Amino acid sequence: MSKQFSISRETAWCPGCGNFGILNALSQALDGLGLQPKDVLLVSGIGQAGKTPHYIKANVLNTLHGRTLPTATGAKIANSGLTVFAIGGDGDGYAEGGNHFIHALRKNIDITYLVHNNQVFGLTKGQASPSSDPGMVTGTTPLGVTYESFNPLAVAISMNGSFVARSYAGDQEHLANTIQEAVRHPGFALVDILQPCVTFNKINTYQWFRSRVYDLNQDPNYDPSNRKQAWERCWEWGERIPIGIFYRTERPTLCDHLPALKSEPLVRQPLVSSRLDQVLAQFK
Amino acid sequence: MGQTSVCPYIWWLGVIQTITIYINHIMYYNQFTNNRKEVVSALNNFNILVGGEAGQGLVSVSNMLIKAVAKQGWYLFAQQDYMSRIRGGHNFLRLRISDTPVYCCERGVDLLVALDQESLTQHQQELNEGAVAIADAQLAYSKEHEHFIGISFADVATNQGQPKIMANAVAAGAVWAFLADNLTAIEDVIKETFAAKGEAIVDGNIRCAEAGFNLVRTNRQQFVHPPKPQTHNELMVLKGNDALPSGALAAGLKFMSAYPMTPSTGITEFISTRSEECSVVMEQTEDEIAAINMAIGAAYAGVRAMTATSGGGFALMTEALGLAGAAEIPVVVINAQRPGPSTGLPTRTEQGDLLFAVYSGSGDYPKAVLAPGDVEEAFYLMGTAFNLADQFHTPVIVLSDQHLADSYQTIAPLDPNKIVIDRGELLFDAGPDYQRYQYTESGVSPRLVPGFGSSGLVVSAGDEHGQDGHLIEDAETRRLMMEKRMRKLDGIRAMTLDPLVYGSPDPEYILIGFGSTKGAIREAVDLLSQQGLPAMAVHLPQVYPLPEKLRKIWQLSGKKLVVENNYTGQLQKLIGMEFALAPDGSVRKYDGRPFSPQDIVEQVLQGGAASE
Repeated sequence: MSKQFSISRETAWCPGCGNFGILNALSQALDGLGLQPKDVLLVSGIGQAGKTPHYIKANVLNTLHGRTLPTATGAKIANSGLTVFAIGGDGDGYAEGGNHFIHALRKNIDITYLVHNNQVFGLTKGQASPSSDPGMVTGTTPLGVTYESFNPLAVAISMNGSFVARSYAGDQEHLANTIQEAVRHPGFALVDILQPCVTFNKINTYQWFRSRVYDLNQDPNYDPSNRKQAWERCWEWGERIPIGIFYRTERPTLCDHLPALKSEPLVRQPLVSSRLDQVLAQFK
Repeated sequence: MGQTSVCPYIWWLGVIQTITIYINHIMYYNQFTNNRKEVVSALNNFNILVGGEAGQGLVSVSNMLIKAVAKQGWYLFAQQDYMSRIRGGHNFLRLRISDTPVYCCERGVDLLVALDQESLTQHQQELNEGAVAIADAQLAYSKEHEHFIGISFADVATNQGQPKIMANAVAAGAVWAFLADNLTAIEDVIKETFAAKGEAIVDGNIRCAEAGFNLVRTNRQQFVHPPKPQTHNELMVLKGNDALPSGALAAGLKFMSAYPMTPSTGITEFISTRSEECSVVMEQTEDEIAAINMAIGAAYAGVRAMTATSGGGFALMTEALGLAGAAEIPVVVINAQRPGPSTGLPTRTEQGDLLFAVYSGSGDYPKAVLAPGDVEEAFYLMGTAFNLADQFHTPVIVLSDQHLADSYQTIAPLDPNKIVIDRGELLFDAGPDYQRYQYTESGVSPRLVPGFGSSGLVVSAGDEHGQDGHLIEDAETRRLMMEKRMRKLDGIRAMTLDPLVYGSPDPEYILIGFGSTKGAIREAVDLLSQQGLPAMAVHLPQVYPLPEKLRKIWQLSGKKLVVENNYTGQLQKLIGMEFALAPDGSVRKYDGRPFSPQDIVEQVLQGGAASE
């Protein structure tokens, strides 16, 4: 397989960072999908995860903290021919951008959302994030995190998100395959990626994950089209942590509903409608 | 008639005449001050006020009258005053009719139509001498008022076998009896408006309008009435919230995203309801932050994109304005201002976001801020806004306000062909070495549309970046990239729209304003001229960067007064900051209502507030 999405560029990540596994899996997935770099758009937020697109050969739009989803949505509507990713961390997506996450699930915009979930703020050097485990002591939570941990899978399944998956940065094959499934899925595809932070998260380490993670899709009795099963399984956390496709359903995407997109991508259409004169005639 | 040196608004230096119609509405100021009791013939201006509670169908009456008046061949200006509620309260329409173009509403009422008690109570004292009041017959009214017509609007509708809601049509018909000898124009409007609802609704409304018309018609000659309409070329009648989105469509808008916020929502709904017809997308978002970021995403992908909001929503958008500035993405943002701070007065007008708009966003980046003064300018400036955004790859802000947004005006038909689309340096193909932020003399780096062409990739970033769009932190690249971006401001400045000047070339008073005060300032100049005080109006259709030619105004000897709808004098401050020029005084209003020409004249004659 040709490696046309790989570029050699010095990264800003710590040695051993979970981001390397995600970067490699993403490149592998893109190569395997047979896409051209010019047809792929990676929209990133701010944080260490948000730097990922700069280490891949594709179109890149590096945006604001938390705003990947609306920006990616706008780009996808404008040119539905692009394969669009939104990429950010747990702080970016589940804190700053939480509102956008809820509404992207509702709208079912056909993009793939990769969340590098390391349960901690890395770039600002180690504060608690929405997905930090309760009790975790950080610079902003000296008494330990006292809040319920944000469960992105539960939120996505409750909102009938059309593709809800979790993978693990330490399992490149699983992650690459999950990303490919997410891209092939017509609709909003969440891939929450468990990502060890070797510098600031001393709890959820590679070793910690390795002994807990299992692939729920290996279970012949698990049916990803069964929302009840998905709902039950998404709460499993601790001794055993499931990864894989939790829930998948097909429903019309945002672009399917837009009359203006029936013919061809918006960006390829004439700028001014031939019906403009009729619009102005309404004022006579 | 003191026809003193009244000349059309001209581009400064007199090169291009933008308005060629000679203005002749000289009489009315004297009539306003004089006793009108004897006046049973035509007035140069006829001012109607229709008031009622929200939910009483005031909007229907207003729309019928506005459209019919325009069809009949009059010029009009109509201002809507409504409360921030769905039912009840006191809402009204001011409708000024003339046989010559009018640019704003004025004080005084010649015909008051009261659908509720509040409309009578609040506006009775505004009645000019000789004016007429039509009110629901159930209401208490001033016995001293000799020209009072009581009509039970709802009963009239019921007697026609129609539902009570058609009281609106009865009221419209009653008003029309003061304006014309037949009901044709109202009938045409009813047919257009209700065609989709079926023949029974159309016929019912027409019968009710006829009943109202006939009730008043027998006594009509006793009262004042408007001048006979001129035989005009066809006119259009529309409000700012029609003109702005129409101009955007004519300028090639393909994508809009917005969160509803008064008074910008009309723009959002306009695009939404035409999305299929005009093949454009309007996406309602979860908040204003999503709205502008979505528009930025669409613009990055190559389409012309915009959002619209008001002050509070604009505040939420400012971070993303900086993103568009840094990543060099063309996006147009309409801020339909309302009085702030905070939620302020949601349905009222103010120009209090000028400095906020000019300096919006963190850090330094180039931008342009436009401020259309009337519906015609609003339409054409949307072309300018999208062209500037595309030519300089940066955000352009269009300042509207509730007064422009909701006020109707008759104008010569809009010509979409006058909006010439210039997409700037836009590439549809590039090789593998393409760099989005290549250093150039103008600061404008050719922009590739992602997904097009053979192999070029578009790497854009809000983080500081090098020419290839990838992130950098070194001082030298930062300096060079900052300078590249800011060079674009020189280009924008060189294309800044000139001030529009109207009135005496040798003025005693020079009234300077921007945005929706344009019409009231123009008419204030006329009023001053009629009093033997030659005056000049200077309107700024672009407030940032300020036009260099504004400096020339300061070379004139007249007393310079900055007229603005805000408390602190933001335009005055801006001129001071940018040009180190100070006016001789200020004319300000911050009660949430637009200026009337009389408001301005009063403050001018008092000398204007002391200059800060």
